[in-house]
Amino acid sequence: MSAITSIADLQKLAEKKSRENQAYSKIVTLCAGTGCCASGCLPVLASLRDELEAQGLAQKIKIRTTGCHGFCEQGPLMVIEPGNTFYRWIKVEDVPEIVCETLGQDKIIERLEYIDPASGKKVSCETDIPFYKAQDRSILGQNKVIDPCDINDYIANGGYSALVKVLTSMKPDGIIEEIKESGLRGRGGGGFPTGRKWEYCRAAEGSPKYVICNADEGDPGAYMDRSVLEGNPHAVIEGMLIGAFAIGAEHGYIYVRNEYPLAVKHSKIALVQAEELGLLGKNILGTDFSFDIKVARGGGAFVCGESSALMVSLEGKVGEPRPKDIHTTEKGFMDLPTNLNNVETWANVPSIINRGAAWFASKGTDKSKGTKIFALTGQIKNTGLIEVDMGITLREIIYDIGGGPFNGKKIKAVQTGGPSGGCLPEERFDLPVDFEALTEAGSMVGSGGMVVMDESACMVDVAKYFLNFLLDESCGKCVPCRVGLSRMLEIITDITEGNGTEEKLGLLKDTAETVSLASLCALGKTAPNPVLSTIRYFQAEYEAHIKENRCPAGVCRDLIHYSINEDNCNGCGACLKACPHDAISGEKKEVHRIDDDNCQKCGICKEACKFEAIIVS
Amino acid sequence: MSEYVTLAIDGANVRAPHGTSVLDAALDYGICIPHLCHMRGITPIGACRVCIVEVVENGRSKVTASCTLEVEEGMVVLAHSEKILRARKNIAEMLVAEAPNSRAVQDVALRCGVKEVRYPFRHESCILCGRCVRACSEIWQSKSLGFVGRGSERHVALPFNKRPEFCKRCNACIDLCPMTITPCPGPMKKGEEALCGLCEAQMSMAEETPDTCVDCRLGEGFHCVRKSPYYQ
Ligand SMILES: Cc1cc2nc3c(=O)[nH]c(=O)nc-3n(C[C@H](O)[C@H](O)[C@H](O)COP(=O)(O)O)c2cc1C
Ligand code: SF4
Ligand code: SF4
Ligand code: FES
Repeated sequence: MSAITSIADLQKLAEKKSRENQAYSKIVTLCAGTGCCASGCLPVLASLRDELEAQGLAQKIKIRTTGCHGFCEQGPLMVIEPGNTFYRWIKVEDVPEIVCETLGQDKIIERLEYIDPASGKKVSCETDIPFYKAQDRSILGQNKVIDPCDINDYIANGGYSALVKVLTSMKPDGIIEEIKESGLRGRGGGGFPTGRKWEYCRAAEGSPKYVICNADEGDPGAYMDRSVLEGNPHAVIEGMLIGAFAIGAEHGYIYVRNEYPLAVKHSKIALVQAEELGLLGKNILGTDFSFDIKVARGGGAFVCGESSALMVSLEGKVGEPRPKDIHTTEKGFMDLPTNLNNVETWANVPSIINRGAAWFASKGTDKSKGTKIFALTGQIKNTGLIEVDMGITLREIIYDIGGGPFNGKKIKAVQTGGPSGGCLPEERFDLPVDFEALTEAGSMVGSGGMVVMDESACMVDVAKYFLNFLLDESCGKCVPCRVGLSRMLEIITDITEGNGTEEKLGLLKDTAETVSLASLCALGKTAPNPVLSTIRYFQAEYEAHIKENRCPAGVCRDLIHYSINEDNCNGCGACLKACPHDAISGEKKEVHRIDDDNCQKCGICKEACKFEAIIVS
Repeated sequence: MSEYVTLAIDGANVRAPHGTSVLDAALDYGICIPHLCHMRGITPIGACRVCIVEVVENGRSKVTASCTLEVEEGMVVLAHSEKILRARKNIAEMLVAEAPNSRAVQDVALRCGVKEVRYPFRHESCILCGRCVRACSEIWQSKSLGFVGRGSERHVALPFNKRPEFCKRCNACIDLCPMTITPCPGPMKKGEEALCGLCEAQMSMAEETPDTCVDCRLGEGFHCVRKSPYYQ
């Protein structure tokens, strides 16, 4: 393939690919993201290929394997175009029928249709699914139409036109101005204005300059960056190219978390393909702009995602944060000016250049613009990756997209911003998704984790869980974070075990404040958020633990007691069989009893009993 | 000739050569910012956070360690604001609870006005200040010691837990270790740790005038200007 040197070359390629696609009568889009691979899409893909061959449809129907669509809990899933037919939970056994009925005769297979858990109705078109409807999928939406391993797919969808535009008609200052005007802020957690960062780095002295993409994504439960990099690596690469040109950088790195093999593979393939077309490497598009990108594997710790730790780790040393009184834009990787942005930040850049700053700035709130991807999980009906306009309320996300609570429980709180975000109560659900608003409320937008909790969650226990995670991930370098967090965990453990006192709660608060004020890096500075926010909004729960030795949600093992309600127990013996600790006794058809000495409070009997006879108090 | 800059620390005008840390500049002017992991002549790492200060810029303040902060023209630093004193005291309280058996740490705690330790005492033998590690690699170019492990596993170790051939037996690590200066009444027994507090005079001074010298023995090892030959 010959190198592209003009917009005309790019258009020719795009048209060629579109013509190719039009030659097919149908296109089956099968998600092959990490989530769907885990639920078995690869055997489905293989049998789909075989079956098309067998039924003589292989020339007429195209299979496109793509990155994550976001609705992983429904995987393996496919969308058939034209028609926008959405099938979910596809098994290998379903494939012959899909090929024969739907692909061959346009008949819909009801069994594979999505049922909206909120209304109980079947939905056949993907765009009608409530989960997708309330979203604005300007980035994630591209995943569906692009085979990440085929650069032509990206180009056919307008890919690399922003790069051509920038190299042929824009000056670096103009690009930075455009990004500044768009109001784009970092999606990696800090929310730092991207245009300003580029400007600092452009102005910094030193050469060569570096541009890095942060794909370390260590938050438990988060996979936005993985999905973007896996599903649409070229958007990230194009964003980096534009940034590098604006900043005057010569080399780039994509720092990918070690546990993301598919993201590594796809970015490597994408880099090779881009280089073949002359979109990367020396004299890009025949201009004198040269830029290369390498893929680096992450250091395997949460803290390696922090900017200074990431750069140290990239240099081959232990990934520990260093004081940031001198910005990495001045002295970063190898002590040279380095601009680090998150995957999602980079992926936003091409569309801002193509559609203009005003388009981007039209979405969102006063200070938070554009869209943001969240990993929505927890005790709600629909979970998955969602992309929404900034400024949408938490309530809309939880109830309209997430479908509200399942099994009739009441939703109590939402934890936003990853492990070091805060927990916000129901009264705060009308807050908009906005960097400042969430920070003010004691939480943060962060990198985009969002965990919804219902009444069954104990907020003290939740705070303890996150504290445990963060203490584990602390690099241990500075005292407030290493010692302070361990002291906080000590106190909160006391509280959950019924040994809490008012004084200890006060000490917990003091310690939390010191840790957030004095820690060296943002891990420590934000780590007390879960504790501080739960104390702020759920003080009553703390007090119940401390004053009454009671865990209102019935979670903290040392404060709960299992017993059997004699009226409800019919002596079926299900609990007796289920109990792994031999703590239950009773004759058939007689009321059973739990022996407190042996009971380990695992809760297995409660799940086993069909008559709600096991009471937790 | 190095370029000088002028900054304000606790309201005092301070002049220091470009590249100096705020902590060193303050100490040179007799403004005693308590500190533990820092030592002149080796690279600061900002680990203990005892030396935190507030830097005020455009009406907003940022808290950072003064040992890793370089002086800048016109910088406004508050080393003893209420916010800083409170956090510093809490950090010192954490430190002394980790290592009650160290005179150096006891002094720092005292210096920061700690009178009561609310955390249960632990009996750590190292507070991970990294003085030994840095002295070994930077002064002696030996790298016989290093940090191993992350988070609560972090500790100082020799390669393969054996003294390496290239160790110069300089003993710098031991000399500089704040754990080697034991408190006056001798090493405390496990379970009987306490904040020393025997020097009542120091206690009262620590409380009332937190930025004056309390004559801590630390001065010697920590290059406090009040203890330097020039000062006497
Ligand atoms: C403990 C810690 C972990 C972080 N992990 C990530 C991460 O996994 N991915 C990421 O993009 N940013 C992460 N960050 C934020 C980065 O330090 C940095 O702010 C970001 O990558 C800058 O890009 P942005 O301006 O595009 O957001 C982390 C920060 C901290 C303190
Ligand atoms: S705040 Fe925590 S993670 Fe950051 S440098 Fe200190 S110990 Fe390490
Ligand atoms: S051994 Fe001593 S000098 Fe070395 S890190 Fe520990 S406390 Fe500091
Ligand atoms: S002396 Fe500055 S952090 Fe320890």
